[in-house]
Amino acid sequence: MTQPARHAAMLSISNSGPNTMAGEKQQSTQHMHTQSQPSQGLRVPSNRKTIYDRHLNRSRSAELSRASFAFLFAEMVTYAQRRVTGIQDLERRLNEQGYPLGLRLLDLLYYRTMSSSTSSSLSSSSTSASPPNRPLRILPLLHLIHGPLWRLLFNRPADALEHSVSPETPNEYMITDNDPLVNTYISVPKEMSMLNCAAFVAGIIEGVCDGCGFEAKVTAHNQPTEMWPGRTIFLLRFGESVMEREKVLERAGVK
Amino acid sequence: MSSATKASRIGEELWKTRVDKVNAELVTLTYGTIVAQLCQDYDGNYHEVNKQLEKMGYNIGMRLIEDFLAKSNVGRCANFRETADMISKVGFRIFLNIAPTVTNWTSDNNQFSLIFDENPLADFVELPDDGRAQDELWFSNILCGVLRGALEMVQMQIEAHFVSDVLRGDDTTEMRVSLVRYIEDEMPPDEE
Amino acid sequence: MVVYSFYIFDRHAECIYKRRWLPRPVSTVGSKSSRPTSEASAPGLPATLGQSARTTDDDAKLIFGTVFSLRNMARKLGGEDDNFVTYRTSQYKLHYYETPTNIKFVMLTDLKSPSMRVALQQIYINLYVEYVVKNPLSPVEHPGGIGVNNELFEESLEQFVTRVLS
Repeated sequence: MTQPARHAAMLSISNSGPNTMAGEKQQSTQHMHTQSQPSQGLRVPSNRKTIYDRHLNRSRSAELSRASFAFLFAEMVTYAQRRVTGIQDLERRLNEQGYPLGLRLLDLLYYRTMSSSTSSSLSSSSTSASPPNRPLRILPLLHLIHGPLWRLLFNRPADALEHSVSPETPNEYMITDNDPLVNTYISVPKEMSMLNCAAFVAGIIEGVCDGCGFEAKVTAHNQPTEMWPGRTIFLLRFGESVMEREKVLERAGVK
Repeated sequence: MSSATKASRIGEELWKTRVDKVNAELVTLTYGTIVAQLCQDYDGNYHEVNKQLEKMGYNIGMRLIEDFLAKSNVGRCANFRETADMISKVGFRIFLNIAPTVTNWTSDNNQFSLIFDENPLADFVELPDDGRAQDELWFSNILCGVLRGALEMVQMQIEAHFVSDVLRGDDTTEMRVSLVRYIEDEMPPDEE
Repeated sequence: MVVYSFYIFDRHAECIYKRRWLPRPVSTVGSKSSRPTSEASAPGLPATLGQSARTTDDDAKLIFGTVFSLRNMARKLGGEDDNFVTYRTSQYKLHYYETPTNIKFVMLTDLKSPSMRVALQQIYINLYVEYVVKNPLSPVEHPGGIGVNNELFEESLEQFVTRVLS
């Protein structure tokens, strides 16, 4: 079982990020750390129904009701609203709730992309043979988000991926979702028109970026069109260290 | 046809034809982050976390029942036994794609247990190894609240709690549900 | 047919939504895309804003009292599962639909209208549940009607009444 070890490796990556919110966010990753450690102290059922005894791909194609997700998400939003001062604060909190999910999904994505690359054999021994194909450059990371991550979460890829055209902001990238699942049932009142609850998804993206060692800030913005009233742009702003490393890697010919 | 078989068929049919689906892992992991957030916000006070989860579930139940009724178009149940089958075979089926076993009825037909062989909310979960969580935290406690909220909306006051959970090292996950009373219609407040 | 007004009452007997449409001008009847206008009483105002002109809280209370009594009497006479569906006067028809959660949907139409029971049920299933119940920014219950009067719900109700029911 290689999963716990990889978890630990990922943690060290995310902890080293010079993130201003790192203090807060580290806490949640630590929490997860405790959860994912195999331990002697926990009691287990005599029929061994534990996460270690069940295949990680068991729920890969499982489905649940979209309404169940909507209700859970609604409670998450309601709970977050109780403790915030304004729209920005609410979005920040939703972002923070998505962040640990991003870290976890990254593990799952690695595991799955590797499993599928070793074709028919899905046993854990074969997966430990190949090193994780972690993206080193920004573009492969963005493709990982735009494609596999979106498919894992929403069963389809995102709708667009763009680089900022402004020479002042080469560190900005945009991922578009024409109709975010999380906003399906949300009708934002006029006085809160700036609010986009997909801040939760922005947090997930941020978690994935951070987990890969790409320090970034991700925010969700309403960009409605006539055809897509719920169109949302996720704006990814990579940190300076990432951009510098990007230059070094480019010179070194790393893709 | 027994009410259980009938409910099973309704549930299966609805799940196949009327339920919009999402990836199960999105739901599982989202629930996980909610619990983790509560554990953090309440500083590891698991009793308080249980309480908050139940409250959230109560709010969800009050909404969810409307979706349940809108999809299923089922009428009022004749008795609490029928209600139990409806919960297990239709409710749990259309929202979590499981059908926990209804069992351990009391002789007055007012109390039963739901035994969960599968629990999508707890997939991927291991409780923190802090010497307390396995004794204090009911990870899926939100479900108790969901039942309480949903049934209150259809005029049944119930009480629900978990008595065992595989996450705690128990061999089964079991919830106990008791009917407290049927609720009368509310009247408009008197004008005069 | 003409829809005059529409009400939702919650399980606490409170009116959580009311909406009044005025008869459409003759010239636009039959045009699919026509929206109801309130030409008769409030020129220039869209119907949504004109609604309060003649609708009062008292109307809602009277309507609640009426349907509540009728429904209870229907049950007494016909058994617990019996339901009252509609009544008509010389001026209008009242249509009634109640969910097992005790939410009551009421619509007033002209006398020519067919049964609106299915329409009311559709409003419940496709509009109320989707846009009010599932909206995280709407509260679970709606004291004073908060949360029901959101944009998605109101717009789709408007569409439903003007396009589907005309």
